[in-house]
Amino acid sequence: MELFNLNTLLFAGKWAFIGLVYLILIIVIVAVRREMASHTPGRQPAEQIAPGRVRILSSGSDPVNLPGTMLNLMPHSRMGAAVDTDIVLSDQYVSAYHARLNWDGSAWWVEDLGSANGTKVNESPCPRHVPQPVPPGARLTIGDMVLEMVVG
Amino acid sequence: MTEAFLLILVCFSAVLGFVLLSIGSQTAQGSSPWTGLPLALIPPLLIGVSAFSVHGILRWRRVQAEQLILPIVFLLLTIGLLMIWRLRGPGGVWQQVFRGLVPGLAAMYFLILRPGLVERIRRWAVPIAIFGLLLPIATAFFGEVDETGARLALKLGPLPPVQPSELIKLSLVIFLAWYIDREGRKAEGRAHPFLGWLRLPSLHYFIPGILFVALAALALVEMSDFGAVPILALIFIGMLFAGFETRIFLAVGLIGLVLTILVGITLAFTWDIPTVIQMRYQAFLDPWSQEMVMLNGQPSGVTISEGPGYQIQQAIYAIIAGGLSGTGLGFGSPQYVPLAHSDFIFASIVEELGAVIGLAVLFLFSILLLRIARVAMLLPSSQPFERLLMIGICIHFFVQVVIMVSGTLNLLPMTGVTIPFLSLGGMALFVNLAEIGLVLSVVQRLERQIP
Repeated sequence: MELFNLNTLLFAGKWAFIGLVYLILIIVIVAVRREMASHTPGRQPAEQIAPGRVRILSSGSDPVNLPGTMLNLMPHSRMGAAVDTDIVLSDQYVSAYHARLNWDGSAWWVEDLGSANGTKVNESPCPRHVPQPVPPGARLTIGDMVLEMVVG
Repeated sequence: MTEAFLLILVCFSAVLGFVLLSIGSQTAQGSSPWTGLPLALIPPLLIGVSAFSVHGILRWRRVQAEQLILPIVFLLLTIGLLMIWRLRGPGGVWQQVFRGLVPGLAAMYFLILRPGLVERIRRWAVPIAIFGLLLPIATAFFGEVDETGARLALKLGPLPPVQPSELIKLSLVIFLAWYIDREGRKAEGRAHPFLGWLRLPSLHYFIPGILFVALAALALVEMSDFGAVPILALIFIGMLFAGFETRIFLAVGLIGLVLTILVGITLAFTWDIPTVIQMRYQAFLDPWSQEMVMLNGQPSGVTISEGPGYQIQQAIYAIIAGGLSGTGLGFGSPQYVPLAHSDFIFASIVEELGAVIGLAVLFLFSILLLRIARVAMLLPSSQPFERLLMIGICIHFFVQVVIMVSGTLNLLPMTGVTIPFLSLGGMALFVNLAEIGLVLSVVQRLERQIP
């Protein structure tokens, strides 16, 4: 049987190559369709990142977040020293779950979550568990760190 | 892991492709089919190692949001390297690898591992723009003259020649992204009504961009790199178009277009239209015409068919020869098309791999562009620079692919630019990979805060 004629091999190979390229293409298209159908599985990044960022003005003893660093915020961003917070601040005077920044659709609010050393908005202390408004440009004092609210 | 799976498929296709190429070209020459096979396995190895190295870094940074861009880029790269091996032999591939792939990979590593670089780039936008402008200007005066009389490259001492053409497009994207980010909102605020429903920003908003494009265009024309000029203009218009968030973007785009055309006409009156452009235009109209090529109104000694039309003819013959599934790697004659390795590489791809692969390449590019645009749209509006950067890169790739493919098919007069990832060109590949690196770097912002 003339099975393994070189020309047949090349012919088969040519079509195999074409098939492979189109297989890749089809998988890519399927992945795109799957993504569109479920509106991204799990977290939806765009809606989770709210219009606002904080800029580190003073980093205290935090070795990672140096002054000038800009951090993105999500509509509910917990700040603290614990690693499962949204914004990890490692200054020694920051509690594990220090405060939470909330976006209510039109403005930012900060809520102290029962921290040891308190939270201040533009030098005025925040009562525990009472959300305080954070206007754009306001300075948040968390432990020894100072963060500036940057909107837009 | 979609990305890993797709990359494995890409590696398979690379191995299969190069094996077929080696066997095919040896058979077509009449020598033993298995000669040179081990050598031909090196490029797939390189592709696999590069692809998985970047993949590894992306895994390490836990990038989940975008898994399709990397396989698409490496598949395109594979097809490009296949054709370059076919046209220029191993030497061409090593050139691509060492002058394009390796620096490009280094750029990608840097950009992905240090996403803060994008912020740094934003702050250094103006020096980057100036550097991007200086290179073509320097090349226009001191560049090496190549065989077509153009000065395309700059030789700095012992280093290999550097082609600034691709770099200036990236500089324009970065500069415009920074500028629109900074000034766009102020310009929108100060826009005044025009014709009742249009609100136009004051004209001096456009000046830095126009200045940049004009200076770059002058330098490029002096370098005889005419293809890059419409690309710069279209990037400029496209980014202005994209940079506005209200309805006035249409008016802004039109203003940009009108101003660009005015500048173009002015330049055309002050200088004679260069010979090359005249020839290409006439070749475009009818490549088989037996009429004399008219230069500046004077007939030259050569017919269109013999002269500038020859290139397009050969490209069209190549595409016809390819048919649906191609002649098979090694069995076509892509070398008969002048500049087959750069300008007309698409014709070579269609000749040997077939129209189906040609179509697949176009699909791949479309998806790549859509993914980059998707990254741009998913970014929050609090990061306009990154969004504009993504859109700019998207426009850059789009315009280049469209112009190149149209030129190959004689839908537009051919201009001498490169198809991203496919054409031979170290600097171009480096810049294109760096742009992908920028995209992958910005993708990380979709998932978590970047300090």
